[in-house]
Amino acid sequence: MAGGSAISGLVGARIHRKEDRTILTGAGRYVDDVNERGMLHCHFLRSTVAHGRITGIDVEAARQLEGVVRVFTGADMSAITEDLSFAQPIPGLHSPSYPAIAHDVVRYVGEPVAMVVAESRYIAEDAAGLIEVEYDVLDVVASTTAGLAEGAPQLFPDVPGNVVHADEQLFGDIEAAFAQADHVVTDRIDQHRWAPVPMECRGGVATFDRATGQLTYEASTQTTHTLRFLLAGWIRHPIHQIRVIANNIGGAFGLKFSIYREDVALCAAAKLLGGPVKWVEDRTEHLVAAGHAREEQLTLEAAVKDDGTLLGLRVTMLLDAGAYPINPPATVYTGIVRTTLPGPYKLPAYQFSHKIVATNKASYISLRGPWAVETLVRERLMDKIAATCGISPVEVRTRNLVTLEDQPTKMITNVTLENVTAAETFARLAELVDLPAVRREQEAARAEGRLLGFGMGTFIEPAPGTPDFWAAVGFPFGAEPARIRIEIDGKVTAFTPQVPHGQSHETTLAQLIGDEMGVGFDDIRVVYGDTDATPFSMIGTGGSRAATMASGAVVYGSRELRRRILDIASHLLEANADDLEIVDGVVSVKGAPGASVPMSQIAMGCWLAPDQMPAGTNTDLEIVATYDGEGGGFSQASHACWIEIDQETGKIEIKRFLVVEDCGKMINPAVVEGQVIGGVAMGIGGMLLEHSAYDEDGQPQSATFLDYLMPSAPEIPEIEIEHLEFESDKVVGSRGVGEGGTVLAPAALLNAVDDALAQVGRGRVTATPLTPSRVLELLGVIEA
Amino acid sequence: MNTREITVTVNGRTRTVTVDVRRTLADFLREDLGLTGTHLGCEHGVCGACTVVIDGATARSCLQLAVQSDGHEITTVEGLGGPNGELHPVQQALYDSHAFQCGFCTPGFVMTTYGMVAEKAAGRPTPCSRAEIREELSGNICRCSGYQAIVDGVERALAGTEQ
Amino acid sequence: MKPAVFEYLSPTSVQEAVQILAEPDDVGDTKVLAGGQSLVPLLSLRLAQPGRIVDINRVDALQEITEDAGVLSIGALVRQRTAEHSELVRTACPLMAAAIPHIGHPAIRNRGTVGGSIAHADPAAELPTVVVCLDAELVAEGSGGVRTIPASAFFNGFFTTALGPDEILTGVRVRSAAPGTGAAYEEVARRHGDFAMAGVAAVVRLEADTVAEARIALSGVDLVPVRASKAESVLVGQVLDDATLAAAADEATASLNPASDLHGSAAYRKHVAGVLIRRAVRSAARRARENR
Repeated sequence: MAGGSAISGLVGARIHRKEDRTILTGAGRYVDDVNERGMLHCHFLRSTVAHGRITGIDVEAARQLEGVVRVFTGADMSAITEDLSFAQPIPGLHSPSYPAIAHDVVRYVGEPVAMVVAESRYIAEDAAGLIEVEYDVLDVVASTTAGLAEGAPQLFPDVPGNVVHADEQLFGDIEAAFAQADHVVTDRIDQHRWAPVPMECRGGVATFDRATGQLTYEASTQTTHTLRFLLAGWIRHPIHQIRVIANNIGGAFGLKFSIYREDVALCAAAKLLGGPVKWVEDRTEHLVAAGHAREEQLTLEAAVKDDGTLLGLRVTMLLDAGAYPINPPATVYTGIVRTTLPGPYKLPAYQFSHKIVATNKASYISLRGPWAVETLVRERLMDKIAATCGISPVEVRTRNLVTLEDQPTKMITNVTLENVTAAETFARLAELVDLPAVRREQEAARAEGRLLGFGMGTFIEPAPGTPDFWAAVGFPFGAEPARIRIEIDGKVTAFTPQVPHGQSHETTLAQLIGDEMGVGFDDIRVVYGDTDATPFSMIGTGGSRAATMASGAVVYGSRELRRRILDIASHLLEANADDLEIVDGVVSVKGAPGASVPMSQIAMGCWLAPDQMPAGTNTDLEIVATYDGEGGGFSQASHACWIEIDQETGKIEIKRFLVVEDCGKMINPAVVEGQVIGGVAMGIGGMLLEHSAYDEDGQPQSATFLDYLMPSAPEIPEIEIEHLEFESDKVVGSRGVGEGGTVLAPAALLNAVDDALAQVGRGRVTATPLTPSRVLELLGVIEA
Repeated sequence: MNTREITVTVNGRTRTVTVDVRRTLADFLREDLGLTGTHLGCEHGVCGACTVVIDGATARSCLQLAVQSDGHEITTVEGLGGPNGELHPVQQALYDSHAFQCGFCTPGFVMTTYGMVAEKAAGRPTPCSRAEIREELSGNICRCSGYQAIVDGVERALAGTEQ
Repeated sequence: MKPAVFEYLSPTSVQEAVQILAEPDDVGDTKVLAGGQSLVPLLSLRLAQPGRIVDINRVDALQEITEDAGVLSIGALVRQRTAEHSELVRTACPLMAAAIPHIGHPAIRNRGTVGGSIAHADPAAELPTVVVCLDAELVAEGSGGVRTIPASAFFNGFFTTALGPDEILTGVRVRSAAPGTGAAYEEVARRHGDFAMAGVAAVVRLEADTVAEARIALSGVDLVPVRASKAESVLVGQVLDDATLAAAADEATASLNPASDLHGSAAYRKHVAGVLIRRAVRSAARRARENR
């Protein structure tokens, strides 16, 4: 990285992970592994109706069951908690509050209606089976269309027309754009509901120490500090008396960024009972009640010139938010979609309107790249524009993409683009692809009765985004702290507010510190996940910010500590600080290794006898550094996808998948590749297999892994990746890469499917998922 | 309570214990024996996170009652490494391949790979190509990795095994 | 997701198992536990809450695969994986050898049993379809003694068999494949190892280039496995070409009324059943030619 002092070459290398020995030997500590003496188990009884009023609840038989310690009804829980409120000062946002456990109206199948605390999960489930609940069934709002219809049931008194939020924004002269258009190209997509589905479900263990008043919550979360302060209010407990801990977390993908009513109920129960009390949801609860995402309908109209130049774009978006609001508010998603949709393209005029609608479903929560639909619709639209104007998908993009020469520039949505290389990744992709050869292969295949498809896409990802990006979205772009300490023995401990759950921060941050300070990789420990030990950050791990923000914090902190060490060493070695180097924890004069002093010696002096250290030096070897992002930035990539469609069975085989990505300076290429491949796999799964389906009565249809289909190894192709590592002049040139694969892969895949359909004279995809059944309908082989 | 006394050998250690007849093998291993390396990802036999080895063959421990293990031998992920924490060759191969991220699926994959390696060593048909390896791994779900680096690791592990 | 309370018994002989099943049942439903790959998920999901589980894994019998006088016998407790690796099954019953790898995943097949899958009677499963295709004999033992039930009479309804409440399936018998026979099992599933949206078991015996014998059975298209006898008649005596195959597929699928669900519409299943019939019969015929 620019201005860096990469001595030992850890950064950029495929360093093996510190995390791996633990996970490979089964030694991790995930929430369900916690087994404390006297621990009780908590289980929720959940609503079986999608919309209803609880008219009676009888928990007596449950209370009497041997091994049951306590049963909470909604009324019991409301006596000891505040209703959860996610209200924000956002104009026009309707955000009703709701109790941790329902006691009046239930609004989705799976809503908690009672909680059992027992000696084992087995007994807790037995007890839940003995609870009788009577519901007065109400009419169900099973879709946005149903929610917006005249006379629709109102889910909440304070959400008029079931519209949680609606807005329209205009940028540039949209009327002129359409007046000048040679063509108006329209498109639409109805994306289905699917979900993050980490391998580890939600859960936590709450313990209350009656003697000290301290509540400890060990949770599967990606945001410890936010969990802590939100819990405090809702369980009526002072923040300073709450400690949140996260150890090993089995994936999250955005889901564990939200704070759930179950977290509140569990902690409140622990306060009452002493605890430890454990709650871990099972997979059915997870698939039904944890929350879903991506259910959005968009329509687009593009004004274009005959040569494919974009003049203007009108977009409408409908988001099915489920019943209850949660953090972050759904306006963040529509805000990011609106702000990012123009992507790395030149767009002179733009109109974006959205409606967020409440329905009788589980909440809409964050799913890796929550804004992904903007790339899906835009990249599909670009291909449709190409077809309309009779040019290639490569040409239409090359014509409209912002290149490095065009930058710095601003997106039509007022976001600064600087060091963005989407166009360059696309140019490289186009070089690697050889489109004419692809077309020849397709023609030859058709002659044999086979159908091949090819699709591409490009995008930018706010990783971590820029201050003006987040201002446009209406979400705070926070600075990131890190606390770093050089220990008495000269080794290093770093405390980060990141909460890694697969992102390898224990490794990547150690790589950065190691290079900055000249300390060995094995001599650095990264601590995360304990609100008692780590500095505050509202976000934790999410938004692909760590590669820039957490990296920056440890780099700046390491540099300052290194400066202090060298300052002291310069006195001890009677040399200029500029003439000193640190290698493997030893400070020496460059070119004169005999003149050296180990960092451990300096550290011991600073900690134990600071008065005896050279006058005027700073002997404090523990600091908190804050990194403001240096303006932040974007990641980018381009994908190409080759498919074959079996025209008899509708099955789609992905034959080849190519990624050209640029996330700036790669800290650890193995980590980057793992994120890209994992992200692409998720995007493929979402488009072809996964579906959090509801029927017209609001009944979930995919409550087990037999119906919610996760992609397994044979469904994912070998993914080829080429890295471009753009070097900016920033101190921290690394950008996030966690979400990009999931954001762009669906676009490349759907473009490939549309390409195949076009070859046989069929119309475009307008709805997902692309089940084999739907593919045959699109091909006209069977009736819809 | 319906209970039974069972004698079961887990990771080479034989014990006689009393278990509730409805307790799954997975819960028995995790809670009664404290071997929490075996994970519960679904409890209905689809995800493979709970994979262990029973009498030398891989099996989903969530689909077995603990009482069924009476008289049998179970190996969990904790039973693979050496006495001083050395990684088993299967674990080493996966480590070398940067196979995993969050680690929740990992013990299941480790045991499935261990099973594959055992079958190869016993002269039984073993996946040869990456495509075949993927098919053999189809009973283990990973949400993080997209499988590619896991396939690398399994290839490594199989290559290091004599038939 | 934990099982509800039940009583557990583990007989060590078929007789003992039968005695237990014949006892008056005042604890509620009784379920027989073999491999557990189908039953235990139902217990964990509490979709089944039997009062009593009879674990037959300790029965020291029913684990043999033998061939005698042109009849292959497979004990009900033979693990699917054992049958998968059995040379005897491969030569005497190539259809079963072709079908078994489609069952779930290796870890499932290590525990799942041949008898268990048949007795569970999932119409989308492979082994019930195989036994229907082959006119296998299912051997049952109950308090009334041993009896043989032809496959055509075994599957009564959705997840229901002709086994009485006091009977267990002890084995399955099929006639060993004659020379000149080829078998194929094709299915379409959402993912590798999933239950089929539709599946076809096909056996073809050729004499010269003519079909001397054809057997076709379908999975996943009805409440029970479907034997496509009319389609078989279309093929017998014919030389296999595209037109004949299409005619057989049409005959087989014309009267089908499969379910619609999240994974595929009724129209889809019906269509794909026809596709798989053509593919499976073609494949079986090719293998028949190779086996002459």
